[in-house]
Amino acid sequence: MAAAAAAAAICGEDETAARVGCTGEWAGGIERVDLGERKEAVAAAGAGKRSVYLMDCAPVWGCASTRGRSAEMEDASAAVPRFADVPVRLLASRRDLDALGLDADALRLPAHLFGVFDGHGGAEVANYCRERIHVVLSEELKRLGKNLGEMGEVDMKEHWDDVFTKCFQRVDDEVSGRVTRVVNGGGEVRSEPVTAENVGSTAVVALVCSSHVVVANCGDSRIVLCRGKEPVALSIDHKPDRKDERARIEAQGGKVIQWNGYRVSGILAMSRSIGDRYLKPFVIPKPEVMVVPRAKDDDCLILASDGLWDVVSNEEACKVARRQILLWHKNNGAASPLSDEGEGSTDPAAQAAADYLMRLALKKGSEDNITVIVVDLKPRKKLKNIS
Amino acid sequence: MVGLVGGGGWRVGDDAAGGGGGGAVAAGAAAAAEAEHMRRLHSHAPGEHQCSSALVKHIKAPVHLVWSLVRSFDQPQRYKPFVSRCVVRGGDLEIGSVREVNVKTGLPATTSTERLELLDDDEHILSVKFVGGDHRLRNYSSIVTVHPESIDGRPGTLVIESFVVDVPDGNTKDETCYFVEAVIKCNLTSLAEVSERLAVQSPTSPLEQ
Repeated sequence: MAAAAAAAAICGEDETAARVGCTGEWAGGIERVDLGERKEAVAAAGAGKRSVYLMDCAPVWGCASTRGRSAEMEDASAAVPRFADVPVRLLASRRDLDALGLDADALRLPAHLFGVFDGHGGAEVANYCRERIHVVLSEELKRLGKNLGEMGEVDMKEHWDDVFTKCFQRVDDEVSGRVTRVVNGGGEVRSEPVTAENVGSTAVVALVCSSHVVVANCGDSRIVLCRGKEPVALSIDHKPDRKDERARIEAQGGKVIQWNGYRVSGILAMSRSIGDRYLKPFVIPKPEVMVVPRAKDDDCLILASDGLWDVVSNEEACKVARRQILLWHKNNGAASPLSDEGEGSTDPAAQAAADYLMRLALKKGSEDNITVIVVDLKPRKKLKNIS
Repeated sequence: MVGLVGGGGWRVGDDAAGGGGGGAVAAGAAAAAEAEHMRRLHSHAPGEHQCSSALVKHIKAPVHLVWSLVRSFDQPQRYKPFVSRCVVRGGDLEIGSVREVNVKTGLPATTSTERLELLDDDEHILSVKFVGGDHRLRNYSSIVTVHPESIDGRPGTLVIESFVVDVPDGNTKDETCYFVEAVIKCNLTSLAEVSERLAVQSPTSPLEQ
């Protein structure tokens, strides 16, 4: 992740900064800032540039989903612009913020959430995740935000682990009926399972703000970052034959059995999920979290269920998504809406990319439900200005 | 809820020491009854490349309720959570009837074709054989029996489910047993939940009084 650690404090020029979308177009032409060059960034800030932490970040995405050749539709997805504000201290150290002249305790960054949930045994848990993950995550962030002020130097990665672990655990507890939840459209609060004990879902979630992408994954859906034409996997599938996963399951007294592929107890072909209480404690809802500072050459994020990844490689997905976004802008540049007008709705270029990836998976024979979200990290407004 | 009597023991005899508070004598008697049911009704003769096992479940619901769920060969989805759809060929339910079962996603199979071998409403015995499907269970044969018992002084039900099946190429006996047992445990847990829910709703249930 060394290369991914770039851009912790990239600065853009003031006048463009106010108008750029999710990072990206640095009109001033500051190239990639590597880790350890913070001094340069700080100096730039002093010279009238604007910190990435102060930038707005308009979400630009497209989402495509199909039942495909499967009998049931059990995928779900979420795209929630401005679902929460992230305390800046979860993204940068107090020292760095002080150096940038920023108020470490007060500053909060608007964040957007994208998630793909691939259900099995039914759609109930995937649908529940779609409705709840962003709500619970927002609550966890608020709770943590209150406590941050009293803490010393915080370990950012640890806090993100904690926030997402609590969030996924909470949703899992609600699904299994271990804690209360609101039922009957808000009328009542009760502890009762959402559905049968053999229903579950993957959850891959990306929190996007102007400076970072924070990813949490549980299961075998996947998120890939297209950075400088190269694919960077931001999640590692939780398959039962992964060495560490197998060891964890066996240490709990469980078994990974090859039964049409490696499966927990011979049944479930993933080692972590939300739901599936009949396979606890072997199958757990704990996510793996990755905190990725954004870089100038970040192109887009692709979140998808295994209906895509089973037949399309990370590399091909990145190539196709980039090409489709560029193509759309080339063909429709003049008609491109400003990203700040498109707030809260999908972007046609990212949508074209998501649609294309979904159709490609179908064409390549995917047998499963297919869900693809493409988040464009490089708003193409300048293309419009040029054209 | 349902206690896995004896600290989680599923296998026959595992619960001899646990008992539902009935003391060692009652527990011993219960274990003896289990052993007798096993000997009489669940004697499989596994071949060299087969494995066999039996699981027990104690359910806090009267035997007629539990049996009404177990005996519905045409509607296993009433309690089996992995079944999404079931159609009986021909329609009439009799010995030799064949059901086409569709299973839910997330399992190493999508269909199973199963034949009714025995349905005894007096002795409460159901026996089913797998005759097709895209799963790996060849020559799978199962027997489910239900027996009245007293749980904490109330009418309860002892369910025993046993099976014999070929060990597929590439797997061990242990793995095969572990897999089948995991599926049966899930089914029996669900059978208990559904039965106990029905028992609470049913006006004739002594549990309600």
